[in-house]
Order: sequence, then C-alpha cells, then structure tokens
Amino acid sequence: MRDDKPLNIYGQRFESRLLIGSALYPSPQVMQEAIRASQSQIVTVSLRRQNSVSAGDDFWQLIKDTGLTVLPNTAGCHSVKEAVTLAQMCREVFATDWIKLELIGDEYNLQPDPVALLEATQILLSEGFKVLPYCTDDLVLCQRLAALGCEVLMPWGAPIGTGKGLLNPYNLSMIRQRLPDMTLIVDAGLGLPSHACQALEMGYDAVLLNSAIAGAGCPVKMAKAFNHAVQAGRAAYVAQAMPEKDVAAPSTPTMGMPFWHQSN
Amino acid sequence: MKKPKVAILGFGLVGRVAALMLHEQYQLSIFEAAPNANDNGAGALAAAMLAPMAESVICDTDIAQLGVEAMGLWPKLLAMLPSPVMYQQTGTLIVAHQQDMGDLRSFSQRLKPLAGHQAQQLTGQDIAKLEPELAGRFHQGIYLPSEGQLDNQAFYQASFELLQTKDCRFYFGQSFELQHDEHSNALVNDEVFDWIIDCRGIGAKKQLAGLRGVRGEVARVYAPEVTLNRPVRLMHPRYPIYIAPKPNHEFVIGATEIESQDDGPITVRSTLELLSAAYTVHSGFAEARVMALNAGLRPAFTDNRPKISVNAKVISINGLYRHGYLLAPAVVKQALSKELL
Repeated sequence: MRDDKPLNIYGQRFESRLLIGSALYPSPQVMQEAIRASQSQIVTVSLRRQNSVSAGDDFWQLIKDTGLTVLPNTAGCHSVKEAVTLAQMCREVFATDWIKLELIGDEYNLQPDPVALLEATQILLSEGFKVLPYCTDDLVLCQRLAALGCEVLMPWGAPIGTGKGLLNPYNLSMIRQRLPDMTLIVDAGLGLPSHACQALEMGYDAVLLNSAIAGAGCPVKMAKAFNHAVQAGRAAYVAQAMPEKDVAAPSTPTMGMPFWHQSN
Repeated sequence: MKKPKVAILGFGLVGRVAALMLHEQYQLSIFEAAPNANDNGAGALAAAMLAPMAESVICDTDIAQLGVEAMGLWPKLLAMLPSPVMYQQTGTLIVAHQQDMGDLRSFSQRLKPLAGHQAQQLTGQDIAKLEPELAGRFHQGIYLPSEGQLDNQAFYQASFELLQTKDCRFYFGQSFELQHDEHSNALVNDEVFDWIIDCRGIGAKKQLAGLRGVRGEVARVYAPEVTLNRPVRLMHPRYPIYIAPKPNHEFVIGATEIESQDDGPITVRSTLELLSAAYTVHSGFAEARVMALNAGLRPAFTDNRPKISVNAKVISINGLYRHGYLLAPAVVKQALSKELL
C-alpha cells in the first residue's frame, strides 16, 4: 500500500482532489450548487478585461460565497505579455499569488503554446507568483517547467471542452514516473467520471475540470459523480492494483472440487 | 369616473409591454432615466427573437412554455400599434461548421419537448430550400419551424407613438425616487399612485437583491447582398451566435454573454468574433455596412429566471435575462393579472 498524503499545492494541503471551474453553467445558482456537490475546495475563475473589480463584483461575490480557495486563470491569452498582465491583474483582484497559467497557441484546438508558456512561467515565478502551468502532455516540457521551479504541473488529458478523456495515457504515466515528487493535475479534456478515476488511479494528484460538469444535463448530479470517481481513483492508487497478467489465474482454488476434470 | 393612477418605472421592453396592457384602464405616468424614448435598456439592442424551443436548450421547460404562451400574445399587442411592426413566424434555422458538429448534436439532444413545437433535422439540400443563399455552405442543420422574431426598433417607436396619443405622462432623463409613506401608499417623487410597476431592469439593481447584469454585445449591419428568410443560429464554441434579419436588409448579429457589470463599448475581440461568424455563414456580409456596435447589460437573477414581486402597491418585474422578447408579454400579464387586469 502507498502512503496517502493530502493534495499539496505550493505548501497548502487539500482533502479534495477535484478542482472545479466556474464557467458555462446554466446559471450562477446551478454553479453554486454544483460546486457544493463536487466537494471541491478549489475553484478556478477567469478574469476578463471587462471585469474590473467594481464592474465584475456580482459574479465575483457569488464565487466568494462558495468559500473555496480561488485559483485565477489566464484563459484566452495568446501572448506572454497578455498572460503576464492578466496574472498581475488577477493578483490584485483576487488577492492571491496563485495563477493557473494558460497560454493558447492554437485558437481552434486551444492547445497551449509550450514555448511561450516557458517564458511566461519564468517571468511570473521571478515576480513571486505560484504558477500552475496548463501544458500539453510532453515529458520534456514538463521537465523544463519543473526545472524553472514549478511545484505543480497541469498537463492536459485532451483539448479543452472536448470531453475525450485521457488521449495519451502512456505520456501521462511517463510524466508521473519521471517526476515522482511533483504535484500533477490532469487539466482539461475530461468528459466522464471514469476519465477522472483513471487519472487518479495512474497516480495523478488531482484533476481540474469545468465543461464535464457545467455542460452535463444535470451539473449537480455530475459534480457528485466526479467527486465519487476522484475518491475511488485515489483509493485505488493508494491500495495499489494487482499486477496485470496475460494468463487466467482462477480466483477460486480447484483442489478438492469433486468434478473439476469434467470440464475437459 | 377618474381612472386609477399607475406609475411605470422604466420605459424599456417590459415597461412598454406593461404600458400597452394598462393604458386603456389607467392613467399612466412613465418615468425613464434615459433622456429619450427609443434607445434605452437591453430591449433596444436585442435581436428580438421568439425562440422558445432553441432557448429550451439552456432554460427550464416551464420558462420555454412561458415563451410559447408569449408568442400567442405578441400579435395582439402589436395589433394595438398605429404603425406596422414586423412580426415573423418563419422558424429558426440552426447550422454548424464541420468542426462544430459535436455542438450541433449536443444542441439537438438538449432540445426540450414543447407541445406543438417540433424540430426537424435538415440535410444540405433542405437548408438550400429554406435559405437559397446558404446553398452548399452547410451539410447539416436543424429547423425549428414554429419560432419567430419581431422588429424591436419598430416596436419601440410604435409603442411610444401610441402611448403619446393616450392618457400618459412621460418623464424622461430625470431621477426619480420610489417611496412608501406611513399609510403604505406608494409614491414616486412625492406623488401618490394607486400602483407602481417597477420595470427598471438593471436600473433596479440597488433595490433588488441578487440582480446582476450579464453583458451582451451585438452588431447591427446593413447587408444589401444578403437575404435570409429567418433568424439563423450558428453553433460556436463560446456563445450561440445568431443572425436575425430585420426589414431593409438590416441584420442583428449577436450576442456575447459575459459575466460582467461593465456596459462600456464593445471590445475588438467580440466584434471580430461576431462579424467573422456572420461572414462564415454568408460571404455577402463582407460588404455589409456596420450600422452600430453595441453593448448592454441583461438583468438576471442568480437562477437566470424572471421574478415578479409585489410589495405594498409596488409590482416589480425583472430578471428576464436573455429572454426579454421571448417572455415579456407572458411575464407582464402574469404580474398584472391579479390586481390590475
């Protein structure tokens, strides 16, 4: 059995391993109910330029009412400069040095730009931010981000909002194996609770998702389902799965069964 | 006999619908914070679509049903007006580009069943029959034949025109104060009214707990090279984008939906998204003239459902969110029917 330690994000400990987004719900009320049902302790929020503190305060108040730790993100940024500026604005507005760094390289796929991501991460770390970079599942990129000083990495499962699940489990498990002490969170692309479960079984520390819950027919029920899936996946990881075998091994010993040879 | 006195606060869409329903039986005083009659509130900017089925994808079934009821009420309201207002019931066409087919499928799955409303799945040929100018551009779509739209600019003008000839007093561009005296009489600027109908939309934010603005941005263009027979919705990864044809080749292209109280001018990003979406539907929009780019705030409560509240002779109607034209006649009728109609 493995040790079960709480989720660690830059020294802060959390029981829940589900980070939840705050966009795309049918209404703010449904959002609040879904967030409660998910039992998440961390909620991501995107700051648009149009939401200055005073202008956006209503929605921000609804987020604050959830009582969760806020993880602001830089969704929608395409350049290092934009992302750094937005991160600085987020620090002021949300009074936190956490930033989920999202830097889009391809407009349609919303695929992160690895080159710009490294540059922005370096700048933000030097300015004292605790950076949680949203990245592709590329091992070398993850190693570079780790070398810069990131304590949390968030590789994608699949492109944002696709609900396809873990498209490349091999890449993801390789990152897990090679960065054993890093807090790793699968971010984006999940659609089903089983996808989240799979990530946790693999040893990922947490998952971050939004559309899978917000876009479900009943977001509140789906939030519950994801909560259960994440707990199941983590428990399975801690319990350590049996080794996989190619040949059947009976689960009931056949010795002493009177007619065992009749099946031949 | 002297008519009872009713004050209407706010002369946007809801205030107008209330005034039309009440003007024959009551002496109306209409208070509007904006300096003039015809460009106030979210209702002046909207595309004024009457799309209960398309909206059922994002709202509760009872709200969509209320929209069906309102569709039956609009022709009666418009028939009161001194000049014609386009009211069209030629359906809604929903299309998607190849890469957004997943969104179209999910939209189709989420349409809620509404009595008397059917969705039809379309092939490219079917689309070409409905909208000849879109032939060859889309291979799949959905048609919601019972939906409609109206010309909100003409409605704004004609409703003001009618009410000016009736027993109505107008107060534009003035601040007004809503109060109650010790006998629970309702007063506006120290004048007692039998009833006050508060239709201020986002203007009532300070008084209504939980009311927020949801920013929406729209473009209005003049496109002589484009002819569409009905509103067209395009699946888009972020917002449902629609193109609603208005008289004289004018089109309303909307709308973004941003959780923000900022009613400042439209951003370049939103402008590009809206206009490029229109261009991908019909290349004739390349030569269109941009008549206006607007931003406004939709008044909404946290559950995004409309709310009627009655408090000592003040009836408040608010929170119609993105469903102003869809719902206004039915919601206003419900609000007024017990005491005033």
